Amino acid sequence: MKPLTFAILTSLLLTGCGRHDQQHPKKIAIIVSTLNNPWFVFLAQTAAKKATDLGYSSRIFDSQNNTDLESDHFDNAIASGYDAILFNPTDAQGSVTNVKKAKDAGIPVFCMDREINSKDAATSQILSDSYSACIDLGKLFVSTLHKKGSYVELLGIVSDNNTWNRSNGFHSVVDNYPQLKMVARQAADFDRNKAMEVMESILQAHPDIDGVFCGNDAMAMGAWQALTAAGKAGHVKVIGFDGADDAIRSIKEGKLTATAMQFPKRIAELAAGDADEYFKGRRDFAKKLPIPVEVVSAHNIDNYTAYGKKE
Amino acid sequence: MQTAIAKYRPMIARSQSLIALVVLCVALSLLSDKFLTVQNGFNVLRQISVNVCISIGMTLVVLTAGIDLSVGSVLALSGAVAAGLLKNGIPWPAHDLFIGFTLLGTIVAALFVGSILGLFNGWVITRFKVPPFVGTLAMLTIARGLTMLWTKGYPISGLGPKFDFIGSGWLLGIPVLVWICVLIVAAALVIVKKTALGRHIYAIGGNEQAARLSGIPINRVKIIVYTIAGLLSAVGGIMVTSRLDSAQPNAGISYELDSIAAVVIGGTSLSGGRGTIMGTVLGAIIIGVLNNGLVLLNVSPFWQQVIKGFVILLSVIVDKMNTKEA
Repeated sequence: MKPLTFAILTSLLLTGCGRHDQQHPKKIAIIVSTLNNPWFVFLAQTAAKKATDLGYSSRIFDSQNNTDLESDHFDNAIASGYDAILFNPTDAQGSVTNVKKAKDAGIPVFCMDREINSKDAATSQILSDSYSACIDLGKLFVSTLHKKGSYVELLGIVSDNNTWNRSNGFHSVVDNYPQLKMVARQAADFDRNKAMEVMESILQAHPDIDGVFCGNDAMAMGAWQALTAAGKAGHVKVIGFDGADDAIRSIKEGKLTATAMQFPKRIAELAAGDADEYFKGRRDFAKKLPIPVEVVSAHNIDNYTAYGKKE
Repeated sequence: MQTAIAKYRPMIARSQSLIALVVLCVALSLLSDKFLTVQNGFNVLRQISVNVCISIGMTLVVLTAGIDLSVGSVLALSGAVAAGLLKNGIPWPAHDLFIGFTLLGTIVAALFVGSILGLFNGWVITRFKVPPFVGTLAMLTIARGLTMLWTKGYPISGLGPKFDFIGSGWLLGIPVLVWICVLIVAAALVIVKKTALGRHIYAIGGNEQAARLSGIPINRVKIIVYTIAGLLSAVGGIMVTSRLDSAQPNAGISYELDSIAAVVIGGTSLSGGRGTIMGTVLGAIIIGVLNNGLVLLNVSPFWQQVIKGFVILLSVIVDKMNTKEA
């Protein structure tokens, strides 16, 4: 066991030393919070593709929503001589030390989609602004329901800070209208099946709701199915978040009312582009670059496709 | 007097899940007038159908003193296989061929995949003496990874009305999903009560050494049991996929826990040899009713988890007290 461990460590060190060898293409590590959700799969794969197109080799690491595992990935990426890290953090606070660790090792980190709570650890942060997007969704929700009625909120995973960013943005608008009453708020874990089941039960208690706000598109699709089964699909307005394939199609068919389109393709490509320019010597990156999130509904749906704008 | 109590004690012990369910239902119907309605009853039955399915398989495994942690991942893979084959078939570009699948074909293929993974579990556990906890834990990861590979991480949606019928159709006034459950429970009851396999399962869980000495083919029985668990996970996978009209790559995560909870609440001992199919069905109904009731009452999601945990704990403690005295 001991000699084996030693051999592995040595080989890691040796590859580490070869980092500045100009003959090999530079290596980019892509560390994402989870691959258990199509949105992040798309983000990671787009980043990997862009890196390859720019002539670099890349590898995707899955942190499985676990800051601890993420820390291991950073250690491995540093040890095996990656030249840059495109990073989708698991947690704004918990991921800071990981980024600092890479910085100390001289490896630039480019954050994608989610931010970390540090001004100088990451080389650049290209962020999607969930909170403001949900403010816009909240405004749309209020006007669609004509400022009154009862509604249901389906939360994502309650320990995930994105769940609360979205929820808080939405409520910062909707809570100003006392005639809009939230009759139930339940967690459905960003999961389509759970959302359908929870919605079925909620509809028993509150058959006369007017709207449903869901923290992501998978839950919106599940809620829609429960409403369809209960024969209430047309009347109740359902709003999701993400801009996923199913949701875009559903809005096109006149089913879901709206979703918020984030631009994972743009975010991933910008981050990979930043890494490319970093290698070529550029150092003056915007510390935080917010990528606006756009509200997609029936009236502008023709401009959009899954995870982005039509080209 | 003493003997009279002793005589009825097993009966009380046997029906404790039923008593718990009745108490729960009475409490919920007092708290919410929406609970005790026919429609809500069907909601609960539809919602638990998947858990009942995989929990029946889990019960058989647990009766042999084993455990199957891979049910959720096997469910996801089987569902994804069904959806993928139905939607895309298998293209064979090298020969410019394309193999399409009929609805029946996709279902058979999905059941086959589930059974093979279950068979593999059983083989690893018997051939290499890997503890079931470890062997099926490995399968949990393997099958999840295979699901990701098969789906490339994206859901497969839009599977057509025929496939939808399984998940959202009705037959003779009862949801198709519930019919499937009834058939599976009936088949399991026959296996457990009327066949040599059923007797062997209990014998192995009761005392493996004694079972071996009395000539029971232990390895074969275990392999069959894990294969059945895989097959039933695949049935669950088809049910979930059809219900959602979409195969989600992250379907079935932590379903093994719900399933173990149903088995345990139903009074089956995790050390094997003792427990019933109907107990597990009741356990699954209790969990379903609890999930449904807590949402009906709009209990905060944080508290829901705490409450569910205590219910599991309580049922096991009551069970332990009963068996100790019996």
